[in-house]
Amino acid sequence: MSARWLLRRLLLVFYTLLVVSILVFAITQVLPADAAVTLLGENASVEALAAVRSRLGLNDPVWLQFWHWIAGVAQGNLGVSMRTGQPVGPTMLIALSRSLLLAVCSIGLMLVVAVPLGVLAALRRGKAADLGVGLVSYLGVSVPEFVTATVVLVVLADRLQWLPATGYVPLTENFWDGVRHLVAPVLTVSIVLVAHVSRMVRSETADVLSSDYVAAARLKGLSGRVVLLRHVLRNALLPVVTVVALDVGYLLGGIIVVEEIFAIPGIGRQLLVAIENRDLPAMQAGALIMAATYAFANFLADLAYAFLDRRIRYE
Amino acid sequence: MTPLLEIRDYTLDFQTRAGPFRALDGVSLAVAPGEVLGLVGESGSGKTTLAMAVMRHLAGNARERGGSIRFDGRELIGIAPAEVRALRGRRIGMVFQNPATSLNPTLTLGRQITEVLERHRGLSPRAAATEAVDWLGRVELRNPAALMRRDPHQLSGGEKQRVVIAATFAVHPDLILFDEPTTALDVITGARILELFRRLRAETGVTGLYISHDLAVVSRIADRVAVLRHGRLLEQAPAATLFHAPQNDYTRRLIASVPKPEHRLVQDTPGAEKILEADHLGVAYWRPRLFGRQIFVGVHDVTLDVRAGEILGVVGESGSGKSTIARALTGLAHATGEIRLDGALVGRMGRAYRRAVQIIFQHPDSSLNPRQRIGEILARPLRLYGGSPREIPDLLAQVHLPAEYAHRWPHQLSGGEKQRVAIARAFAARPRLVICDEITAALDVSVQAAVIELLLDLRRQHGTAYLFITHDLNLVRQIAHRLAVMQHGELVDLLGIDDLGSGRENAYTRALMEASPAPVG
Amino acid sequence: MNDLLRRLLATRQGALGVVLLVLVAFCCIAGPWLAPYDAEQIDFLGRFAAPGTRHLLGADQLGRDVLSRLLTGARTTVPAALGATLLGTLAGAVAGTLSAYLGGHWDEAIMRTIDAVMALPGLLLALLVANTLGAGGLGAVLAVAVAFAPGMARITRSVALAVRRQEYVSAAIARGESGTYIVLREMLPNVVAPVIVETTIRVAFAVMLFATLSFLGLGAQPPAPEWGLMVSEGRRYLHQAPWLVVVPGVAIAITAIGFNLLGDGLRDALNPRDER
Repeated sequence: MSARWLLRRLLLVFYTLLVVSILVFAITQVLPADAAVTLLGENASVEALAAVRSRLGLNDPVWLQFWHWIAGVAQGNLGVSMRTGQPVGPTMLIALSRSLLLAVCSIGLMLVVAVPLGVLAALRRGKAADLGVGLVSYLGVSVPEFVTATVVLVVLADRLQWLPATGYVPLTENFWDGVRHLVAPVLTVSIVLVAHVSRMVRSETADVLSSDYVAAARLKGLSGRVVLLRHVLRNALLPVVTVVALDVGYLLGGIIVVEEIFAIPGIGRQLLVAIENRDLPAMQAGALIMAATYAFANFLADLAYAFLDRRIRYE
Repeated sequence: MTPLLEIRDYTLDFQTRAGPFRALDGVSLAVAPGEVLGLVGESGSGKTTLAMAVMRHLAGNARERGGSIRFDGRELIGIAPAEVRALRGRRIGMVFQNPATSLNPTLTLGRQITEVLERHRGLSPRAAATEAVDWLGRVELRNPAALMRRDPHQLSGGEKQRVVIAATFAVHPDLILFDEPTTALDVITGARILELFRRLRAETGVTGLYISHDLAVVSRIADRVAVLRHGRLLEQAPAATLFHAPQNDYTRRLIASVPKPEHRLVQDTPGAEKILEADHLGVAYWRPRLFGRQIFVGVHDVTLDVRAGEILGVVGESGSGKSTIARALTGLAHATGEIRLDGALVGRMGRAYRRAVQIIFQHPDSSLNPRQRIGEILARPLRLYGGSPREIPDLLAQVHLPAEYAHRWPHQLSGGEKQRVAIARAFAARPRLVICDEITAALDVSVQAAVIELLLDLRRQHGTAYLFITHDLNLVRQIAHRLAVMQHGELVDLLGIDDLGSGRENAYTRALMEASPAPVG
Repeated sequence: MNDLLRRLLATRQGALGVVLLVLVAFCCIAGPWLAPYDAEQIDFLGRFAAPGTRHLLGADQLGRDVLSRLLTGARTTVPAALGATLLGTLAGAVAGTLSAYLGGHWDEAIMRTIDAVMALPGLLLALLVANTLGAGGLGAVLAVAVAFAPGMARITRSVALAVRRQEYVSAAIARGESGTYIVLREMLPNVVAPVIVETTIRVAFAVMLFATLSFLGLGAQPPAPEWGLMVSEGRRYLHQAPWLVVVPGVAIAITAIGFNLLGDGLRDALNPRDER
């Protein structure tokens, strides 16, 4: 891959962040909330409110406020929470690390399950295995996370008592307990992803199976195993890299719900708290960090794709 | 001598929703060791199905209804999968139609050769690599050692086909099936591949079954030729005999449909007045980039004219810019330079110009809107150019289609019928010049012959001029008055049809002619 | 139209989808009349009544009949999801078609911006918008529409570009047809079919997204019998009365599966080349 390509791709990441920050800032500016009132409470004196407004720059024109904010962001200062008075940047990043643990585990589990399922369905097209995988994927994409999460809780924690109900234990504190707390949320998040990705893998594999070069490989007398591993899977799984990266967006959305239900202090929960409390800096910071995570994941996926598929490099 | 491959009374059905469909019906043929048998048929004749039956690679809905396929004295029908794998590649090799799709895009070229050498000749990876480099050299590819690490997309179509051929021959199979190996390639490239095949055949003495729709190609490569139609083998004979004295009616028609350049279909001479002139025509395409743009040259500095009632042939290989000329002359591509209609400069292409200059496209499937009935498709230009929808039956009759076709949908028509509708749509405007952009490229030879006959018929009635774009030099030599030759976006030659072969033509034009042999006979 | 329905019912997914959605539509139309009780009728003596003859699907923490709430709530959830999807599709289709039509640098700029907006997860975007517009039905509908628009714009654009490259469009341009004719008569009928398929599948997402917003407190507000809200309220009583979560959860899933199946069925049925 050429340096030009890399540069272009990086510029796109920055453009994404710029657009997202404008969007988030615009949406939150329209909020019918007075930051000064949020900060001091309903009973604050008029003078105190005015003082806070001028200190926060709330009387400045919107574009100037945006400029101050974005300039701060560029220097790594994401603002101060109106609720806690703490800088939101560090809080959000710690929360993000917990969410990422959940996300990475979920993607891992999803890949382990979805890829074999999709390949199996494609190989047994029209047979019972295919219909079964199809049914599972229909169910998976049709049941919202908050229902799945509740069912997982009822069955695994409540009835069977295999897992702790909710909460979060850092792995560094107590590894096994931490893992036990992760199982239910990871399971919940993975189900939807498995449904989506197994469908994708199935259709990609089916396409590759009907390609000329796979027919050619068979007609060259190669063994079934070699055809499957060297010719089919290599080509069928490449596009899945991109699909998984695009699903990160969906995953981050799902994490908001799952963290709320399982009481995990990740970025999704922080965002919900910020939204409930109309804590503007926290909302802006959280949304921006989520978008940055997504943009970065897609950047990595593009890099991986270009590395794996040599056709891209010369474009 | 006992034949290497012997097929007897072979019958095969495809199970479809509408019931069984007979793809092969009592086919019997034999190929002797060292012989090359040409198998000729149009689309749907079952020729590829027969090859797949020999390779034991049939679709899930195929049902073999009887007969036998014997290879080297052994019955192939019903043998175990492991035996099939030992046969494929090792004893029966295959070269496919489209090298762009038959090579795995994510494996290096070297790997795609060494994998068969390792499997079938039991070579170590190192020995296989040495052997592969040797074979890449033998198929006349430059710098074979470096090619080993290259990927398929870095090669041209002809080079890819050479790699496929190298991988097939390297295993020393007894029989090689060729499934239209030059169809997807340009004329000159295809001719070179045929030359290579002839040389390798002489060197290795391999037996071949050469499948093609192209009689001209088969007549040059095969010792004997078999003709297949609708799953039935109509006749087989030594190549020369078949072409000189065909026994079967269909064979006779098929041979008659093959364009023979010396057999002119147009005798008249066109008028002297110029209808359309293009001066210094240039087209550049560009693709937007985040910053700036990427520019490709379509055509560069093309000057030509079409006279009243003239057929001007435009030939060239794919990517030579011949279709870009059509797009520029119909306003589909933004062009620099000047276009004149009857001597008057054309600024914005107005109704008068559009009416005078019509276009017919290559792909019958995409040139008719799938959500409009034939009647609607024809009514539109009639209304636009002052006709009336009442003329639709006439219009259909002119292209030899029944009037009730007006109520049909495009997908209910065959490829040839769709192309007739496209011709009717162009003639609805009563044009003076019709641009035909590869309009027979997607059609079978017999259908092509009928479409050409129709075009000439319409020209006799209306005196229409044609700008006839094609890659088929033999075809265009039958009908064109003058010939424009395109290469790499430039007009390299523009000459009267009689000047062809007179020594006045460009070197590239000569190369094109040499690569387009007429069939023996 | 009859022809389309016949082809739709001929596909396995289409037939099942139609059956499920007819059921859902029936609940939307006749739900309140079918409901044995008033959806908000409180009965303290009948709290947490298990499913049985008195309450077919049980009763909730206030003794309200779950079946009645489900039937009444269908009118909130399903039309809201439909409305939001249509709104989002319309906005997205206009943006996508415009981008494909303008082409060149404009197209590049619009699509890159839409890609950028898609970096915000749909649920988060919906949450932010719903929060700004204020909790409640209309805010949530708009929020879901906003979250869907970028995706639909991308799809519409790619379909429109594919159609634009067809030779019948070139033929119309070469014939000198007006831009309006080409867009409306040649392109639109061919663009609409794939967009309808995608829209149908998205209604399923909208049903879930809408319910999720309610679940998170930013959609419908109590005591409305919205399905997502019912799950949210029922969660606290999971031990005593699991049906409070299971029943609306299944209702959401059936609706979503119905739209997913219908979309896949339509994909086959709307293909003009497919002879059946």
